[in-house]
Amino acid sequence: MSKPTSLFVIFFSLFVMSEAVFEDQVGKFDWRQQYVGKTLFAHFDSHSQSSKKLFLATDKNIFASFNSRTGDLFWRHVDKVGPEGTIDILLLHGQDALMVVGGGRLLRSWDTNMGGLNWEAVLDTGSFQAACFVAIQDTVKHVAVLKKAVISLHYLTNGHQKWVENLPDSDTVQYQAVYSGGEEEVYVLGVVPNSHLTIIAYSLEDGEIIKQRSVEAPWLSSVESSCVVIGQGVLMCVDPATLALYTLPIQAEEAPQFNQILLQVTPVQPRLESVVFPPQLYVHAFLKKDDSVGYRVLVQTQDHALTFIQQPGRVVWTREEALADVVTMEMVDLPLTGTQAELEGEFGKKADGLFPMVLKRLSSQVILLQVWLAHLWKLFYEARQPHGQVKNEVTIETLSRDEFNLQKMMVMVTASGKLFGIDSKSGSILWKHYLENVQPNAVFKLIVQRTTAHFPHPPQCTLLIKDKDTGLASLHVFNPIFGRKSHIAPPALPRPILQSLLLPVIDQDYAKVLLLVDDQYKVTAFPSTKNVLQQLQEMASSIFFYLIRSDQGNLSGFRLRKDLSTERIWEVVLPTEVQKIVAVNGKRPNEHVHSQGRVMGDRSVLYKYLNPNLLAVVTESTDAHPERAFVGVFLVDGVTGRIIHEAVQRKARGPVHFVHSENWVVYEYWNTKSRRNEFSVLELFEGTELYNSTVFSSLDRPHLPQVLQQTYIFPSPITTMEATLTEKGITSRHLLVGLPSGAILSLPKMFLDPRRPEVVTEHSREENLIPYAPEMPIRTEWFINYNQTVARVKGIYTAPSGLESTCLVVAYGLDIYQTRVYPSKQFDVLKDDYDYVLISSVLLALFFATMISKRLAQVKLLNRAWR
Amino acid sequence: MSDRIVDGVRKHTPSILLFFDESPFSLLWLWLSTEKRKQIKSEKIGIILYIAMASPGGQGGGAVSTRGAGARRMKWALELSLGNARGRGDRQSNQGDVMYPIGYSDKPVPDTSIQETDKNLVEKRCWDVALGPLKQIPMNLFIMYMSGNTISIFPIMMVCMMAWRPIQALMSMSATFKLLENSNQQWLQGLVYSVGNLLGSALAIYKCQSMGLLPTHSSDWLAFIEPPQRMEIMGGGMVL
Repeated sequence: MSKPTSLFVIFFSLFVMSEAVFEDQVGKFDWRQQYVGKTLFAHFDSHSQSSKKLFLATDKNIFASFNSRTGDLFWRHVDKVGPEGTIDILLLHGQDALMVVGGGRLLRSWDTNMGGLNWEAVLDTGSFQAACFVAIQDTVKHVAVLKKAVISLHYLTNGHQKWVENLPDSDTVQYQAVYSGGEEEVYVLGVVPNSHLTIIAYSLEDGEIIKQRSVEAPWLSSVESSCVVIGQGVLMCVDPATLALYTLPIQAEEAPQFNQILLQVTPVQPRLESVVFPPQLYVHAFLKKDDSVGYRVLVQTQDHALTFIQQPGRVVWTREEALADVVTMEMVDLPLTGTQAELEGEFGKKADGLFPMVLKRLSSQVILLQVWLAHLWKLFYEARQPHGQVKNEVTIETLSRDEFNLQKMMVMVTASGKLFGIDSKSGSILWKHYLENVQPNAVFKLIVQRTTAHFPHPPQCTLLIKDKDTGLASLHVFNPIFGRKSHIAPPALPRPILQSLLLPVIDQDYAKVLLLVDDQYKVTAFPSTKNVLQQLQEMASSIFFYLIRSDQGNLSGFRLRKDLSTERIWEVVLPTEVQKIVAVNGKRPNEHVHSQGRVMGDRSVLYKYLNPNLLAVVTESTDAHPERAFVGVFLVDGVTGRIIHEAVQRKARGPVHFVHSENWVVYEYWNTKSRRNEFSVLELFEGTELYNSTVFSSLDRPHLPQVLQQTYIFPSPITTMEATLTEKGITSRHLLVGLPSGAILSLPKMFLDPRRPEVVTEHSREENLIPYAPEMPIRTEWFINYNQTVARVKGIYTAPSGLESTCLVVAYGLDIYQTRVYPSKQFDVLKDDYDYVLISSVLLALFFATMISKRLAQVKLLNRAWR
Repeated sequence: MSDRIVDGVRKHTPSILLFFDESPFSLLWLWLSTEKRKQIKSEKIGIILYIAMASPGGQGGGAVSTRGAGARRMKWALELSLGNARGRGDRQSNQGDVMYPIGYSDKPVPDTSIQETDKNLVEKRCWDVALGPLKQIPMNLFIMYMSGNTISIFPIMMVCMMAWRPIQALMSMSATFKLLENSNQQWLQGLVYSVGNLLGSALAIYKCQSMGLLPTHSSDWLAFIEPPQRMEIMGGGMVL
């Protein structure tokens, strides 16, 4: 039995394979952009004059090298997420870049040429304060690392520790800076806030304290924020309160004293805050060939853009590092071209008499002719150009929908509050808009209210920005194609907003209505014209919404009243001391399911339970003990609050990643008993009879669905998961799984099917069910991004295209990767490597062969007739 | 073959030369067929006769001899259409009277001797026609069994043939009835014939059914089920 089964599996897998990209398809319809995040430290490579390297350490725990001429990435090292990988300091000396990582945990030295690691040394525990190179007569051989209570000296060549010393009085004095002036001493600066400054000099040889001095400084609270060492050991500090500048020679032998310089205050003078250069500005000054001073500046702006400026004020390049932290995104169809829109306009509107219609038709024909002529002229013009010079620049003006709607506008919202409009075909940024006054912890929700389908009304997107601290929300309404702010005034939202709800109701301008629920469960409609309010009143009894309060373990459902207030109709409480609600997911509103059931082996139908109001609620136990931890999946009807199904996975722990679509839920968790990742799939079926095939109402569903479940072992942890989406839902579904390695796996849903049989039967073979195997394979051909790994995949966005076979995929995280997937292969379009030349030449050859042989046959017949 | 020759031959038809025809089956056919058929068959006989009379070198020479190009290459040719007013009769009429073929007699030969068996043969032939479809059924069953229930090109071809033949036969019932019109059991034979064909098509339908080609299951209508209309609008989520 087992042998035929395995043969069957192999045979089947041969069918499923061949998803991968061919070598010549690389980069044809996919692109990747790599980002590094907000810069913390930057250094110019001053090792040689002609060097064009630039070294950055960022808040995303990345150490990267850039080409300073173009802004391209040379190499990049992505460290662990969180405090374990934070870069505390980056120092550059010659070929070596020195880094303290993880709050003073590790000291690393990198080779700046190749980006390779020279050595790594583990430091003693203690929070990191400062580090500096220690030079003796301009030759740097050591590095000093200052921690809260300890100072240590390391060799630059191998990282070995030369000596380590405890700092005196480290519980009262805050040691915050270390300085070496090129002599045999290392100075440590500490401060007792608002009292005095302590300077300790250590011997370079053995770490003995040579000198220890104290300087009165009652105005000083922190060396780190208000002092800097300039020149040959001169400490310069600033006191913002009195607008005074203080200087102190560190190495001075005599009794030290701060020299106070009071600053002139004039109205034009900016407010003095810090003597330290703002960390957003990195200046590199150098001597030019004619001995004049040149400079280059790297500017980090508030919107996380990194701009490189050269001396005459010329911007050499700009990197939009805000895209390293995309929060949410949407894909919007591009508008039709002018001519297409013109034709749409002609046929889209009501007829207004015979003569105007004829005129309109004629004028549109003239426009078409004009466009065609312009196209011909362009072809002719481009043909005259040398081949390499022809550039297909995508600009916002030339943007138009292609034949199969494969090119779309990606609207991306980043954590910094900057919005981007990116062309999905080329990846070029077409517009950007920075929203000021966005709190760093704000929550965003992007809603497409009107697509491009309603010409001449412009498309409209609304971004809901909620401030986590105050709970107040604001709306930013904009045109997703051009990025311009819409002139439509969003409603004033005086109360904190809890959730929003996009209704399929449209106003007279074809904009979908957005309902905003405030903390008193009152509803605000946007747009709120009279027409909309009337429609809402009519439909109020069929509009429901649910709210989930994770902190209270509370799920509640509400119904809209005619006066736009609400009434609570159900409530489910999951005790928070046992489990907490982690995530909830309904179905995507633009998802279509073509087939209403599944055909069994005996040719009967198992109808799917396609409840559009079904919610998948995932909970995790508060008890983290491996024996008692569990993961719960509740399927709740969002209208009635009825729990359709609950699945509890014992000895399991999160993070749970899940996808809810059609009639299935797929979730992934960590099995604490077997210590492995597992995939589980739940499928809901109505049975062999449909209860009501014409309408679906949650209020009239007496029977619970049949639920099937199966679990598989997955050999890798995952970071995110999403399902493919196509226009009509005919194409089979795949799951797109983001792996920590940066690969994106396209896993056929067929492998996650609870009806996979353990014993192969005639019926199951008829159904094309793969026999159950507990291990889920990962095949490298299933990686849709071949070697273009996406670091730290945070989310995957899928959008249908105009072709049923094709689904557009955007994976975002640190990088952005865009591609297309064909879950059932390209069944509706010729492949892009289709051999047109061969086929047409064969056809032509056959045609001519037919003609010639016909003629020959005629001649022969005639000859025979004459014989 | 032109009418001219046929007309010419008809006069000289000797009964003995019937045995020159290809097979006894054709002989039977000849006797069963209608007047028109008789004409055509006798034309065949005429040709045989004609060839026999022609020289061994002239294969089909008689026919060709009328053509201008062919005639020139013939050493000699016989023209049998004697006394025919049409065609080239005028030119040859002066020699026509002398040339009688072997076995020619001016009086028509009466052939009343085989009338009784002829009638039996007609009956038999008619029953053969009527029972033909029924006789094919065992063969069809065997083919059905052999071709199996998998859906591939050969079983499909078989099924198509099996389904198409009875339908074709039923559609051309009038022609069959014409065949049977000499029989006195015409209606019974017609009924048997159509029942046989109906059985054949029933068999084909059964085959389709067992192959799963008939839309008799609910799964065959699955693609036509529209997604149900949604009665409630629902949305929401975690508190932002």
